[in-house]
Amino acid sequence: MEKHFLADMMEGEGEPTFRAEPWYNAYGDCIVYKVADEAFVADRVDEWLTVYNSAVDGRAIGFQIKGVRAIITKFGLDGLAVSWKADAGCVQEISIMALLLAAYEQGPRTLSRRRAYAAAMESPAKRRTISADELQPA
Amino acid sequence: MAADFACKTIDPSNPTGPKVDAIFPGDYTLRLYKYSRVDYENLRAARHVLEHAERVFFGVREFNEGGWCYTGRPIEWYVKEGVVASFPDNLIFAVYLNPNMRVYECRAEYVAPDNARCPKDWQKRYGGLTWKSTS
Repeated sequence: MEKHFLADMMEGEGEPTFRAEPWYNAYGDCIVYKVADEAFVADRVDEWLTVYNSAVDGRAIGFQIKGVRAIITKFGLDGLAVSWKADAGCVQEISIMALLLAAYEQGPRTLSRRRAYAAAMESPAKRRTISADELQPA
Repeated sequence: MAADFACKTIDPSNPTGPKVDAIFPGDYTLRLYKYSRVDYENLRAARHVLEHAERVFFGVREFNEGGWCYTGRPIEWYVKEGVVASFPDNLIFAVYLNPNMRVYECRAEYVAPDNARCPKDWQKRYGGLTWKSTS
Protein backbone atom coordinates (compact mmCIF):
# COMPACT_ATOMS: atom_id res chain seq x y z
CA MET A 1 0.00 0.00 0.00
CA GLU A 2 1.08 3.56 -0.52
CA LYS A 3 2.40 5.65 2.34
CA HIS A 4 -0.18 6.39 5.01
CA PHE A 5 -1.47 9.96 4.87
CA LEU A 6 -0.73 10.34 8.61
CA ALA A 7 2.71 8.72 8.52
CA ASP A 8 4.64 11.97 8.86
CA MET A 9 2.54 12.98 11.88
CA MET A 10 3.29 9.69 13.60
CA GLU A 11 7.05 9.93 13.30
CA GLY A 12 8.72 9.61 16.66
CA GLU A 13 5.65 8.09 18.35
CA GLY A 14 7.38 4.79 18.91
CA GLU A 15 6.68 1.23 17.88
CA PRO A 16 2.95 0.38 17.73
CA THR A 17 1.81 -2.34 20.12
CA PHE A 18 -1.72 -3.71 20.12
CA ARG A 19 -3.55 -3.16 23.41
CA ALA A 20 -6.60 -5.27 24.23
CA GLU A 21 -8.18 -2.88 26.68
CA PRO A 22 -11.28 -0.70 26.84
CA TRP A 23 -10.86 2.99 26.12
CA TYR A 24 -13.19 5.95 26.10
CA ASN A 25 -13.58 7.73 22.79
CA ALA A 26 -14.41 11.28 23.83
CA TYR A 27 -15.47 12.36 20.33
CA GLY A 28 -18.13 9.68 20.13
CA ASP A 29 -18.98 9.37 23.84
CA CYS A 30 -18.44 5.63 23.59
CA ILE A 31 -16.27 2.91 25.07
CA VAL A 32 -14.45 0.79 22.53
CA TYR A 33 -13.03 -2.62 23.29
CA LYS A 34 -11.19 -4.92 20.88
CA VAL A 35 -9.33 -8.06 21.82
CA ALA A 36 -7.71 -8.74 18.43
CA ASP A 37 -5.89 -6.49 15.99
CA GLU A 38 -8.04 -7.43 13.00
CA ALA A 39 -10.48 -5.63 10.77
CA PHE A 40 -14.02 -5.98 12.01
CA VAL A 41 -17.58 -5.75 10.83
CA ALA A 42 -19.81 -3.78 13.17
CA ASP A 43 -23.14 -5.40 14.01
CA ARG A 44 -25.40 -2.92 15.76
CA VAL A 45 -27.49 -4.56 18.46
CA ASP A 46 -29.37 -1.53 19.77
CA GLU A 47 -28.87 2.14 20.71
CA TRP A 48 -26.24 1.21 23.31
CA LEU A 49 -24.31 -1.82 22.05
CA THR A 50 -22.52 -2.64 18.80
CA VAL A 51 -20.64 -5.93 18.52
CA TYR A 52 -17.46 -6.19 16.48
CA ASN A 53 -17.09 -9.40 14.45
CA SER A 54 -13.74 -10.34 12.95
CA ALA A 55 -13.51 -9.80 9.20
CA VAL A 56 -11.09 -12.74 9.16
CA ASP A 57 -13.27 -15.50 10.61
CA GLY A 58 -16.47 -13.92 11.94
CA ARG A 59 -15.82 -14.44 15.65
CA ALA A 60 -16.73 -11.69 18.09
CA ILE A 61 -13.60 -9.65 18.85
CA GLY A 62 -14.99 -6.67 20.66
CA PHE A 63 -17.77 -4.21 21.20
CA GLN A 64 -18.70 -0.57 21.54
CA ILE A 65 -20.89 0.88 24.28
CA LYS A 66 -22.57 4.09 23.12
CA GLY A 67 -24.21 6.91 25.04
CA VAL A 68 -21.87 6.49 28.00
CA ARG A 69 -22.71 9.86 29.52
CA ALA A 70 -26.42 9.08 29.34
CA ILE A 71 -25.86 5.77 31.14
CA ILE A 72 -23.78 7.47 33.82
CA THR A 73 -26.36 10.23 34.21
CA LYS A 74 -29.07 7.65 34.76
CA PHE A 75 -27.21 5.23 37.02
CA GLY A 76 -24.55 7.48 38.53
CA LEU A 77 -20.88 6.67 38.75
CA ASP A 78 -21.51 5.12 42.14
CA GLY A 79 -23.78 2.55 40.55
CA LEU A 80 -21.06 1.48 38.13
CA ALA A 81 -18.01 1.80 40.36
CA VAL A 82 -15.60 -0.91 41.37
CA SER A 83 -13.17 1.26 43.30
CA TRP A 84 -12.97 4.64 44.95
CA LYS A 85 -10.19 7.01 45.87
CA ALA A 86 -10.25 6.60 49.61
CA ASP A 87 -8.92 10.04 50.42
CA ALA A 88 -11.15 12.04 48.08
CA GLY A 89 -14.18 9.75 48.30
CA CYS A 90 -14.65 9.80 44.53
CA VAL A 91 -15.04 7.03 42.02
CA GLN A 92 -11.76 5.80 40.56
CA GLU A 93 -12.66 2.85 38.35
CA ILE A 94 -15.92 1.80 36.79
CA SER A 95 -16.85 -1.67 35.60
CA ILE A 96 -17.32 -2.35 31.90
CA MET A 97 -19.63 -5.24 32.79
CA ALA A 98 -21.75 -2.96 34.96
CA LEU A 99 -22.00 -0.53 32.04
CA LEU A 100 -23.11 -3.38 29.78
CA LEU A 101 -25.71 -4.49 32.31
CA ALA A 102 -26.96 -0.93 32.68
CA ALA A 103 -27.25 -0.62 28.91
CA TYR A 104 -29.08 -3.94 28.70
CA GLU A 105 -31.61 -2.86 31.32
CA GLN A 106 -32.70 0.05 29.15
CA GLY A 107 -34.04 -1.97 26.23
CA PRO A 108 -36.54 -4.75 25.63
CA ARG A 109 -35.71 -8.15 27.08
CA THR A 110 -35.48 -10.03 23.80
CA LEU A 111 -33.55 -13.18 23.07
CA SER A 112 -31.38 -11.48 20.44
CA ARG A 113 -30.39 -8.72 22.84
CA ARG A 114 -29.67 -11.16 25.64
CA ARG A 115 -27.44 -13.22 23.36
CA ALA A 116 -25.56 -10.20 22.08
CA TYR A 117 -24.94 -8.77 25.55
CA ALA A 118 -23.87 -12.17 26.82
CA ALA A 119 -21.41 -12.48 23.94
CA ALA A 120 -19.99 -9.06 24.77
CA MET A 121 -19.59 -10.02 28.42
CA GLU A 122 -17.84 -13.25 27.46
CA SER A 123 -15.09 -11.40 25.60
CA PRO A 124 -11.72 -12.62 26.84
CA ALA A 125 -11.10 -9.41 28.70
CA LYS A 126 -7.73 -8.72 30.25
CA ARG A 127 -9.00 -5.50 31.71
CA ARG A 128 -12.62 -5.08 32.81
CA THR A 129 -12.57 -1.58 34.21
CA ILE A 130 -11.93 1.91 32.95
CA SER A 131 -10.75 4.94 34.87
CA ALA A 132 -13.55 7.33 35.70
CA ASP A 133 -11.19 10.22 34.94
CA GLU A 134 -11.12 9.15 31.28
CA LEU A 135 -14.84 9.64 30.81
CA GLN A 136 -14.77 13.27 29.74
CA PRO A 137 -16.51 14.05 26.42
CA ALA A 138 -14.62 16.17 23.90
CA MET B 1 0.85 14.67 20.32
CA ALA B 2 -0.18 14.20 16.70
CA ALA B 3 -1.94 17.10 15.04
CA ASP B 4 -5.47 17.02 13.70
CA PHE B 5 -5.83 16.12 10.03
CA ALA B 6 -8.48 17.70 7.81
CA CYS B 7 -9.88 16.41 4.56
CA LYS B 8 -12.56 17.90 2.37
CA THR B 9 -15.98 16.34 2.28
CA ILE B 10 -19.59 17.16 1.48
CA ASP B 11 -21.15 19.70 3.81
CA PRO B 12 -23.96 17.71 5.42
CA SER B 13 -25.86 20.92 6.16
CA ASN B 14 -25.51 22.16 2.59
CA PRO B 15 -24.67 19.19 0.34
CA THR B 16 -24.68 21.18 -2.89
CA GLY B 17 -22.47 23.94 -1.47
CA PRO B 18 -18.72 24.12 -1.02
CA LYS B 19 -17.01 21.19 0.64
CA VAL B 20 -16.06 21.46 4.29
CA ASP B 21 -13.37 20.01 6.53
CA ALA B 22 -13.85 16.69 8.24
CA ILE B 23 -11.34 16.41 11.07
CA PHE B 24 -9.44 13.32 12.13
CA PRO B 25 -8.58 14.33 15.73
CA GLY B 26 -4.90 13.92 16.51
CA ASP B 27 -5.43 12.14 19.81
CA TYR B 28 -7.84 9.69 18.16
CA THR B 29 -5.53 8.83 15.26
CA LEU B 30 -2.54 8.61 17.59
CA ARG B 31 -4.34 6.12 19.78
CA LEU B 32 -5.15 3.95 16.79
CA TYR B 33 -1.57 4.20 15.57
CA LYS B 34 -0.09 3.16 18.89
CA TYR B 35 -2.55 0.50 20.04
CA SER B 36 -4.79 -0.63 17.18
CA ARG B 37 -2.74 -0.78 14.03
CA VAL B 38 -5.34 -2.36 11.74
CA ASP B 39 -7.82 0.38 12.57
CA TYR B 40 -5.10 2.94 11.96
CA GLU B 41 -4.40 1.47 8.52
CA ASN B 42 -8.10 1.56 7.72
CA LEU B 43 -8.16 5.32 8.25
CA ARG B 44 -7.13 5.29 4.60
CA ALA B 45 -10.49 3.71 3.79
CA ALA B 46 -12.20 6.30 6.00
CA ARG B 47 -10.54 9.17 4.17
CA HIS B 48 -11.53 7.63 0.83
CA VAL B 49 -15.15 7.41 1.98
CA LEU B 50 -15.20 11.03 3.15
CA GLU B 51 -13.76 12.19 -0.14
CA HIS B 52 -15.98 9.91 -2.25
CA ALA B 53 -19.11 9.54 -0.14
CA GLU B 54 -22.06 7.68 -1.60
CA ARG B 55 -24.53 8.43 1.20
CA VAL B 56 -24.71 10.82 4.16
CA PHE B 57 -27.09 10.15 7.03
CA PHE B 58 -28.12 12.39 9.92
CA GLY B 59 -29.29 11.65 13.45
CA VAL B 60 -26.90 8.80 14.17
CA ARG B 61 -27.22 8.59 17.92
CA GLU B 62 -30.13 8.17 20.28
CA PHE B 63 -28.51 9.98 23.21
CA ASN B 64 -26.17 12.43 21.53
CA GLU B 65 -27.51 15.34 19.51
CA GLY B 66 -26.51 15.65 15.89
CA GLY B 67 -23.80 13.73 14.15
CA TRP B 68 -23.40 12.23 10.72
CA CYS B 69 -22.62 8.96 9.01
CA TYR B 70 -20.85 8.95 5.65
CA THR B 71 -20.81 5.69 3.73
CA GLY B 72 -18.91 4.52 0.71
CA ARG B 73 -16.88 1.71 -0.70
CA PRO B 74 -13.09 1.68 -0.55
CA ILE B 75 -11.32 -0.43 -3.15
CA GLU B 76 -9.36 -2.33 -0.54
CA TRP B 77 -8.86 -2.50 3.18
CA TYR B 78 -6.39 -3.77 5.74
CA VAL B 79 -7.67 -7.05 7.22
CA LYS B 80 -4.86 -8.00 9.59
CA GLU B 81 -1.15 -7.41 9.91
CA GLY B 82 0.41 -7.60 6.47
CA VAL B 83 -2.84 -8.56 4.71
CA VAL B 84 -4.64 -6.19 2.35
CA ALA B 85 -7.77 -7.43 0.59
CA SER B 86 -10.45 -6.17 -1.75
CA PHE B 87 -13.30 -4.61 0.16
CA PRO B 88 -16.15 -7.20 0.20
CA ASP B 89 -19.33 -6.63 -1.79
CA ASN B 90 -21.57 -7.48 1.16
CA LEU B 91 -20.13 -4.68 3.31
CA ILE B 92 -20.19 -0.90 3.30
CA PHE B 93 -17.63 1.31 5.02
CA ALA B 94 -19.11 3.85 7.43
CA VAL B 95 -17.42 6.91 8.91
CA TYR B 96 -19.13 8.58 11.86
CA LEU B 97 -18.63 12.26 12.69
CA ASN B 98 -19.87 14.19 15.68
CA PRO B 99 -21.68 17.54 15.31
CA ASN B 100 -18.29 19.29 15.26
CA MET B 101 -17.28 17.24 12.19
CA ARG B 102 -14.79 15.23 14.23
CA VAL B 103 -14.34 11.64 13.08
CA TYR B 104 -14.93 9.20 15.91
CA GLU B 105 -15.63 5.81 14.34
CA CYS B 106 -14.57 4.15 11.08
CA ARG B 107 -15.85 0.68 10.37
CA ALA B 108 -17.31 -1.84 7.98
CA GLU B 109 -20.97 -2.71 8.33
CA TYR B 110 -23.30 -5.19 6.66
CA VAL B 111 -25.22 -3.71 3.74
CA ALA B 112 -28.98 -3.33 3.71
CA PRO B 113 -30.68 -6.15 1.79
CA ASP B 114 -32.56 -3.66 -0.36
CA ASN B 115 -29.73 -1.17 -0.95
CA ALA B 116 -26.06 -2.10 -1.18
CA ARG B 117 -24.99 1.49 -0.56
CA CYS B 118 -26.65 1.74 2.84
CA PRO B 119 -25.89 0.01 6.13
CA LYS B 120 -28.30 -2.62 7.39
CA ASP B 121 -31.35 -1.20 9.20
CA TRP B 122 -30.47 2.36 8.23
CA GLN B 123 -34.15 3.34 8.21
CA LYS B 124 -34.46 2.47 11.91
CA ARG B 125 -31.02 3.58 13.04
CA TYR B 126 -30.69 7.07 11.63
CA GLY B 127 -32.79 10.18 11.50
CA GLY B 128 -32.71 9.96 7.73
CA LEU B 129 -30.74 10.39 4.53
CA THR B 130 -29.18 13.82 3.99
CA TRP B 131 -27.52 13.22 0.66
CA LYS B 132 -26.89 10.49 -1.89
CA SER B 133 -24.57 10.24 -4.84
CA THR B 134 -26.19 10.23 -8.24
CA SER B 135 -23.21 8.58 -9.94
